[in-house]
Amino acid sequence: MRTSHERGIAEVTITVESTIKFPYKRSLGPVIGPFMTALAEQRFIAIRSGSRVICPPLEWDPETAAELPRDFVDVGPAGTVCTWSWVSRPTEQHPLDRPFAFALIKLDGADTALTHVVDVESIDQMSTGMRVAPRWRAERLGHITDVEAFVPGEEAITVNGGVPGEPVTMMSYDASITYKIPVSDNTIKAHEATAQGRLVGLKCPVCERIYARDRGFCPIDTVELTDDHEVELPQRGVVTSYTIITPVQYPGQTETEPFSRVMVLIDEIDVVMMYQPLVDVPVEDVRIGMRVAVVWASEAEKADAGRPGNLVGWMPTGEPDNTDPSLANRIM
Amino acid sequence: MAANDRGATDIAIVGFAQSQSVRDAAPSEVQLLVPVVADAITAAGIERSDIGFTCAGSCDYLTGGPFAFVSNLEAAGAWPPISESHVEADGAWAMYEAWMRLQEGDIDVALAFGSGKSSPSNPAEVWAQQLDPYYLAPLGVDPVSLAGIQAQALIDAGKATERDFATVVADSRRNAKSNPNAQLSGDYDVDALLAEPYYRRPLRKHDVPPISDAAVAVIMARGDKARELCERPAWIRGMDHRIEAHQPGLRDITSSASTTLAARKAGYDGGPLDVVELSSTFSPQEIILKNAIGLGAGVNVNPSGGPLAANPIMAVGLIRIVEAASRIIDGTANRALAHATSGPLLQQNLVCLLEGE
Repeated sequence: MRTSHERGIAEVTITVESTIKFPYKRSLGPVIGPFMTALAEQRFIAIRSGSRVICPPLEWDPETAAELPRDFVDVGPAGTVCTWSWVSRPTEQHPLDRPFAFALIKLDGADTALTHVVDVESIDQMSTGMRVAPRWRAERLGHITDVEAFVPGEEAITVNGGVPGEPVTMMSYDASITYKIPVSDNTIKAHEATAQGRLVGLKCPVCERIYARDRGFCPIDTVELTDDHEVELPQRGVVTSYTIITPVQYPGQTETEPFSRVMVLIDEIDVVMMYQPLVDVPVEDVRIGMRVAVVWASEAEKADAGRPGNLVGWMPTGEPDNTDPSLANRIM
Repeated sequence: MAANDRGATDIAIVGFAQSQSVRDAAPSEVQLLVPVVADAITAAGIERSDIGFTCAGSCDYLTGGPFAFVSNLEAAGAWPPISESHVEADGAWAMYEAWMRLQEGDIDVALAFGSGKSSPSNPAEVWAQQLDPYYLAPLGVDPVSLAGIQAQALIDAGKATERDFATVVADSRRNAKSNPNAQLSGDYDVDALLAEPYYRRPLRKHDVPPISDAAVAVIMARGDKARELCERPAWIRGMDHRIEAHQPGLRDITSSASTTLAARKAGYDGGPLDVVELSSTFSPQEIILKNAIGLGAGVNVNPSGGPLAANPIMAVGLIRIVEAASRIIDGTANRALAHATSGPLLQQNLVCLLEGE
């Protein structure tokens, strides 16, 4: 009944680093909006939920999920630390660049605690039950970080205070995560083959389907594919489908003019290479049935470190089109 | 009506497999899954074509691959087409969905799996993104800092001491010595652990789980099919999950009301348990969870070492269920409870109660 899985797992040797950014713009709605507006005015507000005063305010009763009447109350600005944890080595994601405490802070007049940071010179100044007050930023946007930090004491540190501004209805939040993706042995082999001007694949020993060289297994038979399964592929094929992409200038997009990506069914074998670039073909000339052959990078292009790989794309061979109407079904 | 009252007692775990947990696995997530799913199928003594429903649990944010969960499905061999689903959650929730699906009564066998590679990214950076995007995420609140806040609250409430945390760690690592899939194990002296520097006071580095990559798979079967496949199936007597408010400042983080409720709804009546596997990601959480479930001092908690010995996020909860089930199937236990968690500071909790015949 039980198999102990005794295969060892190899550790990573080569990685590629990439950072994904999520530039969000969020609408704040009828409760968080007024709270953020109050922050911009260097005030805190809370909302009544039954007998409790909740800060930061929510649109719904956390116990019953009933929508709360918009019954706001002023709270703070001073409050009490309920619990805390000391960050001795802050990282880039943290709001302060020197040691600080994250804390749950119950603002005066509130029954629940706000999560924020406490700025003190040393951990010796931190204790549960200590009194703190906000130090406001000079430039406030209606954002939770309009409070730069809480500091010990009863008095808020205000800056350019007190002028009511426009209601805050939106907030920006730029999230970012950096990944180090391992490069598999099969990916390295695929890259080496293209450097030699070879197009290679991996053939499943069970179903005999052929896959791209960088794939690690056959998804139909769930069989691992290794060097033993490498096969040489013909370097000619036919376009079975395509798309014309009109670039939208989102962050990271480097293309400016419409361009095509095509599906290429390789000659003699049953392999479709997806989303391939076409070389020197105007977008209005791209069509299903077009005969194409591989274009490899020149020595000068290979020397350009900015290029992604040695397979530049596919170029028409000039042969007559393949007119088989069923070609269009072969997109993968 | 509670889940354990509606005939659910007729479903059992009949086979499973898990990979080792390692710090930095070279294989992709799906490559980790391929042999694990194959081994679970072999362990259950079935053919892939016997599986009536498949459910997977994973999180695309971990490896940063858009639709990575679709690739993971290839480990199940999705051709000819299969009936399947995915949860953006730990594999324990995938198992919950597959268990619900089996209760429809029209299929006999289901597969659930969970997988996660935390190594390509920094968990502190990734898990800040699961937090409320208005009040919490912009502060860069990381899970270890949150756990520190919870630990301090536990100390202030008089419910635990730093020595209690270190004792949990020493127990975990000692237990993990007999678990070939664990990452951290060995004999550690509590006083020596307490002499280590703080990482996020009041937590030390050993109070925090390792970063882990791993995969796990489980095969469930109904009634006679389960008896046919397995000499001693691990019968699922009940399974339930409950959730609390997201904001840590809104709830009592020194207790876990949702765990208490899930354990009761899963059918745990306070009786004796031979083994308990808890997703106590940080050492103070083991104390909170034991209190929430109502476990006495003599209970065998985390004989596998638990998450402090290996924490493959998105697999770690289902591994708890597998570790509990394995001891029923091999005859060393007759009644076991397993727990999985999700969200910041035990926000959501799942409890699974397992029994032999």
